[in-house]
Amino acid sequence: MGMTITEKIMARSSGRDKVVPGELVWTDIESVMTMDFLGKQCFDKFRSLGKTEVFDKNKVICVSDHLVPPPTQKFANMLNEWREVVKQHDITNFYDLGRQGIAHQIMVEQGHVLPGTISIGTDSHANTYGAVGAVGNAIGVTDAAVAMATGKAWFRIPKTVKFNITGKWQPWVMAKDLSLHIMGMMHWNGHLLYKSLEFTGPAISSLSMAGRMTLCNMTVDLGAKNGIVAPDVVTERYLRNRTNEKWDFVTSDNDANYDMVYDIDISDLAPTIALPGKLDNTVTVDKLIGTKFNKAFVGTCTNGRLEDIATMAEIMKDKQVHRDVNMILVPASQTVYLEALQAGHLETLIKAGVAIDTPSCASCAGLHTGVAGDGDIVLSAGNRNMTGRMGSREAKVYLTSPSVVAASAIRGEITDPRTFDI
Amino acid sequence: MIKGKCWVADDYVMAYDIIISEYWTSPIDPAENSKMVMAGVKEEFNKENAFKDNDFTFIVANHNFAGGGKSIEHVITGLMGAGIKAVFATSFARLQFRNAINYGLPFVTSDDDIHLGCETGDELEYDADKGIIKNMTKGTEFTSIPAAPFVSEVAASGGLMNFVRNKIAKGEPIK
Repeated sequence: MGMTITEKIMARSSGRDKVVPGELVWTDIESVMTMDFLGKQCFDKFRSLGKTEVFDKNKVICVSDHLVPPPTQKFANMLNEWREVVKQHDITNFYDLGRQGIAHQIMVEQGHVLPGTISIGTDSHANTYGAVGAVGNAIGVTDAAVAMATGKAWFRIPKTVKFNITGKWQPWVMAKDLSLHIMGMMHWNGHLLYKSLEFTGPAISSLSMAGRMTLCNMTVDLGAKNGIVAPDVVTERYLRNRTNEKWDFVTSDNDANYDMVYDIDISDLAPTIALPGKLDNTVTVDKLIGTKFNKAFVGTCTNGRLEDIATMAEIMKDKQVHRDVNMILVPASQTVYLEALQAGHLETLIKAGVAIDTPSCASCAGLHTGVAGDGDIVLSAGNRNMTGRMGSREAKVYLTSPSVVAASAIRGEITDPRTFDI
Repeated sequence: MIKGKCWVADDYVMAYDIIISEYWTSPIDPAENSKMVMAGVKEEFNKENAFKDNDFTFIVANHNFAGGGKSIEHVITGLMGAGIKAVFATSFARLQFRNAINYGLPFVTSDDDIHLGCETGDELEYDADKGIIKNMTKGTEFTSIPAAPFVSEVAASGGLMNFVRNKIAKGEPIK
């Protein structure tokens, strides 16, 4: 019996020839990420283990993303403590305000995640790293402290569920729609808890790295342990100028054992929206046509990448955001911001009436930059729509793709981008 | 053997509601985090020490307890600070399942529909060695799925920090 890609990565990272689901192993960690609001606690815990130097100062990645730029004195003080502790530990890769981005974007974009290895981060969307054929896993500050000290983390080998995605992507339908479609299909209630999700098939081969990141990112919200796309030519091209480290094309064996296999044909996949409150309460866009909202948001580790911004710009060119809507775009990193600027997308969006803010997690973490107030109805290309997620517990958040947000912001009501006059 | 009163969830309990967003940036500290623990789950818990003052020892829940994402450990320390000694559910969200293991708080899975057989305020007895949960108020009994040896070992050490600290101090390999 062969192994799935996740089993293979866990086997090689734990120095074994073979692992089976259910087994508990300690594995080597490629990179450990932590960020501003939890990072100091990671370092404090790390030192309490009796260590003063991290296992590899090039492989502990520190990012300022949730609290920047600080909107309050409390956050400013937290950031100062954070900077002090990062400096004290002589961390090589510190992405502070000015070089910042959302941690998961930074990890992949700056080449800190390698195919065939395991990287962890103290934020739930660390599953994003699976886009480049790595195991990406979210952990708490305790696991981060242990990994900083030892370069290791414990894992139970998950069972793997395969999603074989076929068909042709239709215009304006995005990876986000597939994520939300799977969310609606599988629910939160246990089918995919603790599972490794492997995305494969022709519609994955033709999917960009940005799309793969969206897809793997949202697997945490399915309850899964990780989401992964085996490395291929898209991965190779993406990583070429981002890392000098060696990596190989690890893939699942033909006779690997899967817990379940699902086939999804995306040829007739429609733009999909999660209704306020629960991520798995999804409908296709046609059910909500004409629904009014007053805030539009594109950004986050799910949908704040260049491709997302380019899609928005294409839809919004020479048009105006509706007068009843405030729209904010927050690029996922300084790199993305600059690329979008150079491509002219930001000019297009500013002319359309979109407010653009410096890269951060922004209102997706409910902490700052466009948080929702009482009674607000937000159409968001972020990743969560639970009560209170973006600010007020009296606000409602619809989740969808950047193309739906862009077309809808022009009309001032939920709109199908496929029928929108572009 | 642990004995005490249980609180039974009547819906999915999300990590977001156990610790609401204004407390995500607080220090990880049981005393601090327990003050507003469960604030988003029910209106009656949305004031200082409201959940804690009930003196619950156990939580009984349905599927995907502490789900909806969020890897913050405040969720676990908040429950522990409020006096919770074990949580019984059909399934747990993995981020918090992992954190609970790392803190040595038993997150106990049961195939029995335990949430249907208990009401808030019932007195329970949990025998971790035998994996038996008794509802003394109703005279019923449920069985739990035994924890993996590693999980018990971490719990016996008082959590992963102690487990690893001891190994580092003794120069033992971590494997």
